[in-house]
Order: sequence, then structure tokens, then C-alpha cells
Amino acid sequence: MPDNGRSPAGAATVTLTIDDREVTVPKGTSLLEAAALQGTALPHYCYHPGLSAPAQCRICLVEVEGAPKLQPSCVTMAQDGQVVKTDSPEALKMRKGVLEFYLVNHPLDCPICDMSGECKLQDYVFAEGREHGRGREPKRVFGRDDFGGDVLYYGDRCVMCTRCVRFMDEVARDSRLTVVERGSRAVIDTFFDEGLEGASFAGNVVDICPVGALVSKDFLHKARAWDLDSTPSVCPGCSQGCNIELHTRDNLVQRLKPRENAEVNGHWMCDFGRANYEGLNRGGRLEAPAAGRGAKRRPAGWDEALGQLFARLQAAAGADVKIVGSAEWSCEGLAALAAVGAETGEVSARVFRSRCAADEDRLPGFPALARRRDLAPNVDGARTLGFSRVGGEDAAGGLEEVAAHDGVLFVLGDDLADQEAAFGEAASLFVYMGAHGSEAAANADFVLPVTTFAEQEGTFVNVQQRVQRFWPGLRAPGEARPAWLVLGALLAALRGGEAAPASAAAAFSWLAGERAAFAGLSYEGLGAEGAPLAAPAGGNGAA
Amino acid sequence: MAISVKVMKRPEAGRTSYMRATLKGMSLTFKHLVRPQAATLEYPEEQPDLHPRWRGTHRMEVHADGRPKCVACGLCPTVCPANCIRLVGGEDDQGVRYPIVYEIDEFRCIFCGMCQEVCPVEAIHVGHHFENAEYERDRFVYDLDRLMDQDHSTTLLWDPSDRRSE
Ligand code: SF4
Ligand code: SF4
Ligand code: SF4
Ligand code: SF4
Repeated sequence: MPDNGRSPAGAATVTLTIDDREVTVPKGTSLLEAAALQGTALPHYCYHPGLSAPAQCRICLVEVEGAPKLQPSCVTMAQDGQVVKTDSPEALKMRKGVLEFYLVNHPLDCPICDMSGECKLQDYVFAEGREHGRGREPKRVFGRDDFGGDVLYYGDRCVMCTRCVRFMDEVARDSRLTVVERGSRAVIDTFFDEGLEGASFAGNVVDICPVGALVSKDFLHKARAWDLDSTPSVCPGCSQGCNIELHTRDNLVQRLKPRENAEVNGHWMCDFGRANYEGLNRGGRLEAPAAGRGAKRRPAGWDEALGQLFARLQAAAGADVKIVGSAEWSCEGLAALAAVGAETGEVSARVFRSRCAADEDRLPGFPALARRRDLAPNVDGARTLGFSRVGGEDAAGGLEEVAAHDGVLFVLGDDLADQEAAFGEAASLFVYMGAHGSEAAANADFVLPVTTFAEQEGTFVNVQQRVQRFWPGLRAPGEARPAWLVLGALLAALRGGEAAPASAAAAFSWLAGERAAFAGLSYEGLGAEGAPLAAPAGGNGAA
Repeated sequence: MAISVKVMKRPEAGRTSYMRATLKGMSLTFKHLVRPQAATLEYPEEQPDLHPRWRGTHRMEVHADGRPKCVACGLCPTVCPANCIRLVGGEDDQGVRYPIVYEIDEFRCIFCGMCQEVCPVEAIHVGHHFENAEYERDRFVYDLDRLMDQDHSTTLLWDPSDRRSE
């Protein structure tokens, strides 16, 4: 059989037979990974693709022809001509036995366990375990232990895979967890009283724990796994742009989980990013477009508001234009904003403001990942699109010139929280587009509600100059629309007859045609993992 | 279209006797007097005997100390085909998982009994109860306190001596 094109040409490969099917894999691939490539998911606890494999959970045993005993597939390397049976009676019997041992002490906790529904013990026992337990003896009882930070440990549920210990040792390089005691008395514990408190990547141990032994305090009892919808997205916490999943229920984000991307974040994300989800649920949103300054403001439909705005922009042709963007809005929206500004008149300022941390926080075992200094997801995208950063590290100040500007003024996505009500008083035309209202928008001629990144499709550019897509996980409130849709329509009208983008894909291909940095990229081609920008521009590190 | 009228032929007044029909009716009455056939129930003085598997409004079982038995596992809202159970889980002061909000809309409920069947801790039950008229619609959403206060007997979904329903 062909090698499915998975092994890079020229690299040494081996061909083996797994369950009567031939598969060719790169040399050095374990049987477990080879089986996964061939389409057979073998059970495993201690093995994790981001960690070392100690082969101690004994649940990945498979039969290898010629070997005297069953082999742990996570550490047995694939060899040429090997014949492996993952579902022979012998292998199944052995795995069933191992599972029964796990259940000797594991409580029947599923109804009150947060992992229920995504638990590997549930899955494996359901797939391969015994129908009924035969245990008669009482189970051990440990109770639960607060590990500090966001992590809670239920000792009774632990299957002793030591993933958590190895994560802290190998990836966080901050050994704070260990196994104490032996045999059935073994539990995971912390060395010092502070436990995981202050460790900035400790939340990952909750993700990698295959059972409900480590759970998040924040998420405790909040939602059942099967009630959550999952949407691929990008973390808005910093310019690293970790790939994540938004887990939503009732149109609220309930938690964030890392999504694998070997180039950006591996399997991990930081605790700061994880805790940020509450900002995505912030209420008090703008829901309908409105036109008119101060007391004259009244609601307007989109058609009416955009029609009026178009007429005002045409009348203002040649004016001095200043633009305030935001590093939390998508590239498509920012690029369309810049183009609308350029179409209207002379753009004399294109700025954004964003918060900065004092320093980076790197994950030692996966150095590509760090919580970056720029605490906004699209700082590099905004820079690439010609925006420059103003104001302080707390995203305040820096808008004095803009506030007093007497030409055309666009604001997209900046709440102007620190600005006075007199902001934009002198502007001949002031357009405020945002998710939340602002006191400083009192002088806006148009207030247009736009969607946040969690409610729309689009792209961000991260600190590695990598363009990454995100998908909508929440319903937009009221009549809010994506910024690229609103601005794309305006731009098309201003340019006279150009077709306005009707989808995020169309908006991106417009962007790829308009901006050299994005040239050659296709929306489809970005996929779920993104792709590097064609020509890195303006990216000279943190500001 | 022509309208056809059928004229009933009746015996002339004074030329017929109802005696035979009356006697026939009375004989039936007397027969019941001697050998009663209980078809009518003197409700509400007399209450019907409900079948053990009768499924009426719900009842939440409580522990001896008055806490609800429900552990907020979320299975009954998941299984409910009428989607009429609302549950918000949480933790009480002893670190025990319990339902902060547990409501059943008895108007939407179809009394299938699946919530009782799925409950891992035998907390929620459908019960032997049918007198649930109310003056206001809102009152049909039973909250946790009301479900715990209900005191009718609960439904037997299967015979304990015949677990396989044979
Ligand atoms: S707490 Fe979880 S990750 Fe850690 S050893 Fe136990 S089961 Fe494994
Ligand atoms: S490192 Fe940055 S992008 Fe990654 S999870 Fe943390 S805040 Fe989010
Ligand atoms: S009896 Fe059926 S419809 Fe009624 S609450 Fe229970 S599961 Fe839902
Ligand atoms: S199934 Fe039982 S324990 Fe679970 S939520 Fe419903 S009543 Fe509570």
C-alpha cells in the first residue's frame, strides 16, 4: 500500500503491517503514532505527544509478532516488516484486565465529575472494558486537595499517569508536582505550600489530565462537556496568538482550551490567556446603528446610516483624515478602514493603542511560546497594515491630536475609555465603530455597532508574522455586523462599482490583492493553522 | 339544489304509553341495586387507585438532613425529550455538588419518566399525582423547593423483583 504521502521524500522510512494493513512511517515513529497514522486510535494515558513516554500506564499494549510478550506501543519503535495486532484476542484481554485494575480504586464519580463526557477512562472502559465490576472491597478515599492557582486535585480519580508531573518537569521546567507514596496509596502532591500558585502555565495540567483528577476551579460544576460547543479560534490575550478553542454555551464563552499548532503553541497556552475569556462575555454592547451628534442622535437602519455616511464621505473628499484602529480587530477590518480613509482624503494619522506587559513570560520547554509583551492579538497585523502605536503601556493617552482634529475622524474598536466627552468636537465628520458605547463618542456623527472577533470570521497576524484564522463562536448582538462587511460596502461604493465582499473569504482575498504583505495567501490555504506572511513588514519586535 | 326534508312519523298524542320503556329502565336500576357494577367513582370523595407505573408530576427525593438528593449531574436535562428541565449546578458550603437552580416546566413535560430512569442517584421521580390545576400558568414551573415538598408516592418504573421486565 502507498505511504499516504505522509513521510517527507528522502527521509528514512519503515514499512510495517498494523492489523493487516501496511503503513509506511518515518523511522523513529512509535507503534502508537504509526497506528494513529493508519487510523487506529490506541488507548493511552501516560503517553502525550508533547511529553516523554514512560510506558507506565500499560493500557497501550499490543501484540507484536515474534515478541514474547505484549509490547507497550508508545515506546516500541516501528520497524521494517513488523506485524502488529492491536485488536487480537490476547491484546484485548490484556487491556480489559488493565482497565479492570484501574477501576479497583477509581470512584464511580462520573455524575459529579467535571471531566465526565470527555474522560479517557469513561471512553476506554466503554469501548474495551468489562460490563460489570467484580470488586467487592471498599475503594480508597483521598478527598480533594487544592493545588493552588486554578487547579484542584481529586486524588481518588487519579490514574497515576504522571502527565502532570512530567509537564511541570519537562515543559514548564518548574518542578512543583511529584508522586508521593507507593502502590495504591500513591497520590500526586505539591512540594511546597504555595503549590502551583504563581506558575503561569499550570493550567495545562488540567488539559492533559486524562481523567477528572485535575480540574479547573473556575470551571468547576459550570457546564457539562457535552453541552459545550467548540469553535476554533485564536487567543486574544497577547500577540503570540495561541490557537485555541472557544467552548461556549448559552451564547457565553465558558472556557478556553488550547488547540494544537506545532508552529505557534504546541499543545499549550498560558494561564493569563485562559483567564481572559470573561472579557468576551462583556455585556453593554452597541446593538443598532445610530446617526447624529449629541442630542440629535437617533437610531438609523444600516441602509440609512451607510447611505448618509457615504454621502458625507463624498462631500468630505480631500479632507484631512485621522484613523484610530485597534489591535483587537481583524486584518480585513483594519485594512478596509485604512482604504476607506485613503479613499476619502489625505490620511495624516493611522494609530492604535494597546496594553503592554512589563516583560515576556516564556514556556521553557517550548520556547516558541511566550506570553508576549503586547497584550493584544493583532498588534503585528495592525503594524503591517500601516498603523502605529501611540499612548502608554496601559492603552491610555496619546490621542491629543486626534481628539482635537478638525477633519474626518474614524475610530474602530477603541473604547476611548480615557477620553473626554469633548473628543472629536472639532471634527467635520466623526465615525465611531465599536462593540461597546463610549462617553467620548458623544460627538460622533455615526455610531456603528461592529462584532468582536469571537462573533465573526477573520484573521490576525501574530508575533511570528503568521496569519491565523478564527471562526465565530458567539452570536452577534442586535444588528452588529463585522467591520469588514460595513467598511467593505462603503469602500466599494466610494471606489464606484467595485464588488463589495460578501464573505470573510472574499474580504481576505481582497486584502491579499490590495496589500503586498498578504499577497499569495489564500483564505482556504490558511486552514486552521495559518501561514506566514509573504513579506514580514514593520515587525521589529515589541514596541 | 333541492332540499329534502324527512318528516318523522310520531304516534299521535294520547295514543302511546311509555310504561314499557319506563319499566325496562327501572329493571336495570334494580339489577344494579342487587348486583352493583362500580363504573362511576365518587371523585373527589373517593380517589382512584393509580397503577404503580402511573407517571404524574415530579418529586425530588431528599436526604435525612433536608438536602436534595440531586447532584446536578446534568443527565436529566440532557435526556429530557421535552427540554423542560433547567439546571444550574454549583457547590454547597460542604463542597458537595448540588443544583443551585432546578426547575421543571410541568406544562411542557410529556411525563415519559426518562428523567427518573436516567438519574444516577434516584433523586428525581415522576409520581402518583394528577391533581395539578393552577390559577396561573407560571405556577406550572416547579422549582426545587416545590419538587422537594411534594409528598405523593413515586412511580415504580420497573418491578424490583423482575429487573429484566420479564
Ligand atoms: S492527576 Fe491526572 S495527569 Fe496527574 S497523574 Fe493523576 S491522572 Fe495523570
Ligand atoms: S501566550 Fe498569549 S496568545 Fe498564548 S494563551 Fe497566553 S495570552 Fe493567549
Ligand atoms: S418526564 Fe420526560 S418530559 Fe417530563 S421532565 Fe422527565 S424526561 Fe422530561
Ligand atoms: S439526573 Fe438526577 S442527579 Fe442528575 S441532574 Fe437530574 S435529578 Fe440531578
